[in-house]
Amino acid sequence: MLLGIDVGGTHTDAVVINQQGLVATAKVVTDHDNLLHSVQEALEKVLQDASPRQIRNINLSTTLTTNAIVEQKLEPVGMFVAAGPGIDPQQYEIGDYFFPCRGSIDHRGVERAPLDDGEIDKNLRTCRDEGIRCYAAVSKFSPRNPLHENIIQQKLQSQADFVTVGHQLSGRLNFPRRIATAYYNSAIRPPFNRFADAIGSSIEKLGLQAPINILKADGGTMPFAISRKVPVQSILSGPAASVMGIVALCDIDDDAVILDIGGTTTDIAVFAAGSPLLQKEGIALGGHATLVQAIITRSIGIGGDSLIQVNQEKLTVGPQRHGPAMAFGGAKPTLIDACNVQGVSMAGNKQASMDGMAKLAKNLGLPLPELAAQVIDLAVSSIMEATRELIQEINNRPVYTVHEMLSGPELTPEKLYVMGGPAAALADTLGKRFSMPATVPHDYAIANAIGAALTRSTMELELFADTEKKTLIIPELDIAEEIPFQYSLDDAVSRGRESLADYLKLHGHQHIDENDIETIEADVFNMINNYFTVGRNIRVSCQLKPGIDRAYRQGLTTP
Amino acid sequence: MIEAKNKLGVIFFPAYDWAIDATHPEREERLLYTQDQLREEGIFDIKGINEYKPAIAEPEDIDRTHFCYPDVDSVTTESHLIAAGGAIKAAQLVMDKEVDKAFAIVRPPGHHAMKVVHGNRGFCNVNNEAVMIEFIRETYGHRRIAIVDTDCHHGDGTQNIYWHDPDTLFISLHQDGRTLYPGSGFLNERGGPNAIGRTINIPLPPQTSDDGFLYVIDEVVLPILEDFKPDLIINSAGQDNHYTDPITNMSFSAQGYARLNEKLNPDIAVLEGGYAIQGALPYVNLGIVLAMAGVDYSQVREPDYDPEKIRQSAKVDDYIENLCREIMSQQRRPVEPVGKEGDFFSRTKSVYYDTDGISDEQTEKVMICSSCAGLRVIESRSSIHERCLGIEIPIQACKRCRETGLKILTEAKKAMRYRTIRLINRVDREYRSFSQEELSPRSKYFF
Repeated sequence: MLLGIDVGGTHTDAVVINQQGLVATAKVVTDHDNLLHSVQEALEKVLQDASPRQIRNINLSTTLTTNAIVEQKLEPVGMFVAAGPGIDPQQYEIGDYFFPCRGSIDHRGVERAPLDDGEIDKNLRTCRDEGIRCYAAVSKFSPRNPLHENIIQQKLQSQADFVTVGHQLSGRLNFPRRIATAYYNSAIRPPFNRFADAIGSSIEKLGLQAPINILKADGGTMPFAISRKVPVQSILSGPAASVMGIVALCDIDDDAVILDIGGTTTDIAVFAAGSPLLQKEGIALGGHATLVQAIITRSIGIGGDSLIQVNQEKLTVGPQRHGPAMAFGGAKPTLIDACNVQGVSMAGNKQASMDGMAKLAKNLGLPLPELAAQVIDLAVSSIMEATRELIQEINNRPVYTVHEMLSGPELTPEKLYVMGGPAAALADTLGKRFSMPATVPHDYAIANAIGAALTRSTMELELFADTEKKTLIIPELDIAEEIPFQYSLDDAVSRGRESLADYLKLHGHQHIDENDIETIEADVFNMINNYFTVGRNIRVSCQLKPGIDRAYRQGLTTP
Repeated sequence: MIEAKNKLGVIFFPAYDWAIDATHPEREERLLYTQDQLREEGIFDIKGINEYKPAIAEPEDIDRTHFCYPDVDSVTTESHLIAAGGAIKAAQLVMDKEVDKAFAIVRPPGHHAMKVVHGNRGFCNVNNEAVMIEFIRETYGHRRIAIVDTDCHHGDGTQNIYWHDPDTLFISLHQDGRTLYPGSGFLNERGGPNAIGRTINIPLPPQTSDDGFLYVIDEVVLPILEDFKPDLIINSAGQDNHYTDPITNMSFSAQGYARLNEKLNPDIAVLEGGYAIQGALPYVNLGIVLAMAGVDYSQVREPDYDPEKIRQSAKVDDYIENLCREIMSQQRRPVEPVGKEGDFFSRTKSVYYDTDGISDEQTEKVMICSSCAGLRVIESRSSIHERCLGIEIPIQACKRCRETGLKILTEAKKAMRYRTIRLINRVDREYRSFSQEELSPRSKYFF
């Protein structure tokens, strides 16, 4: 059995699932000032109906790190940043202890200027005098050569509880994001670790012995031990849990659109060949873009409680909300009331909806059914337009080869999945307008916790090999080794995939299926100097992409 | 978060799967380190700088601009159509006001491609800027456009295309043709009879550095632009004036390129040459992007940058000062009419396509006309395609030029002397080709 917990804004949900389906569920109100208590409460509740001994795996999605960043409850961090030529690093100042340092590494990973020991030592002393215990070291092009980050880390060792080094967070190139991500990682590490310690001991007390994993915004999880090193990877995992829940509840194998229609907003996600699409760079939080990978979601202001208004004789729905709907005792008609009038849903007090809508219809001089139809049409049109834009944005993402330019759009959704309160009411209309079959899954109200329970580990790594310099680097794993001049792209791809599998196995994942590891980039460039080939520049990127434990899907899937 | 003063669209197309050949400088790797640098700098996270996918140019976009023999397909690959399409995308973004400025970082380059195309010369097949400009004029209406070519090589292709167009100002700054390919671009090349003074060549001595380039911009380029009052300024942004470029001899830096761009303030820039792909392009492109966006670029420099080492000599200072004076006085001299209104002015020209080893003998006639750019007729006999005729009725052609052009077409079709006839009729938007087979009386198409 698998256990999933999703700490959400309002509720904390927990589920236990076996291969036949749901075994137990629990819902408690989230206590923002004591998330640990919410998790414990949900755990105790869900374990009333399931035996702790049979739990094989525990996945936890928490808002702790997100809240810490949003509420600026951050530990002070000594930031050491070696930039070299380019945009002035002062532009990326973050926190109160930001120290740009001399020293430069270029795009090939060649050291072009050394660090200045005197300068660094002086700043180290300043931090020590201020009592700083958390640090981060970031240098430009560190994924090509982590030398400067490693030197700074060594220098800090004696006075630091913890040092985040940029290259271990991601092998992708983006210096400003690396700075922000490293800063957050160090700034939230103390509260995260306190939380993790407490969770660890309460889980033990409850008699659970299963490994614990923490959810990430990319829809996957990371082992507990890794999360203590890179807590920043746990930010904004909420939407991802819901999206993965849909994957579990519906058997998605194609390009598809997922709509989660809530009270205030509709969240749109898109799937390519059954997998959620990830943002190209990473998610932003607290005003800073990061390298933390996340599922693409788009939110628009259309929901069940969206207010119906007439402005200068023009009918509008949302984005203002005015809940609850009149059907539930509200004062003004909302989208739910329009659905009631249309007879597509039978929620709450139908007469109240009719009365409220009738008044509005009279003001507009429209027959009541016509008004309701127009309201629903407006809501559906807004959702469609936003979805169309999102798909267009994805299909317009730049590509860099002639082959890709000519190969046409990558995403052509053919199925629609609708969840949330007004889902059943709007699914038919949406399906007609999208010209796609629309499915409303069962159990969507706890999709978030189901997603949390069933999702698997994800991991991405980048490999960079340079046969002229005879070096190979996998920054995330801190691998740096010598390679022969003949080293080929195939060698590099195998090395990357093996390293990924080895790393996950090392962290307790014995069941890695080679086929689940995806090579997302494999490029080789002949490096030419003066009409001669002097070496090969090889770039490989592979990932274990987000996915649901197949064996557990059977019992849940909506036909 | 950094915010750009000018909204900038960057069209980045490195064509990672296309090269002229395996070890040619125009190769897959060329923009690899530029992309690394732009990514690492987080350029596209700057508010107001966005990356866009190129368009793919249609054959008609090429046919509107060039006489391709025997046709567009034979002289281009998809990569050329995407590079030209990248420039078109840049123009669309600016003309549709989605952005304030746009920079097409695309390859292969185009500024050596002339009006007539039989193959590749100087790494270029079709002229990306010209295809873009004619797309602008066709789609958005006629515009006065200035092209400032800052590639180290003379932009002989662009010069050739706009030689007769009084509404296109072409200014080329380049290393003196006596010391570098293509060996043209001297002071006396000033435009055809209908457009004298609309072509301005500024041949600079080897080792010209930041001071020299910026002096030329201040003393010549900006005053002439001020005079011409273009609707749009285009920068043909070649980056081979760089002090580390392997195939040229200049001493320009990333700081210099950025400052030049800031002064010039172009609406659109299109990448041309530049083959110091590790030591120059990443920094020069970064500098240009930031300068165009109006973001501070003061810390952008090459790792080995030493302004003292690349400073130009006093001799070069003097030479450039004199050169600028001469160009300006030449520019101020009143224009003498070359021939009689309505007559044809004729010139012959030999063109060598160095990459493909094709030679071409051309006879070009242009009608002397005070009301439009003048009807243009080019006979071309290349080593792979004999007896080609191109007739161009220019945009906003007068009645006389249009009618004469159509008459020449009818006669040429009857005469059966040409293997291929191409027509660019901008007035009626007709871009057509007539091959000998079609023209033959045995064909079912009888003209």
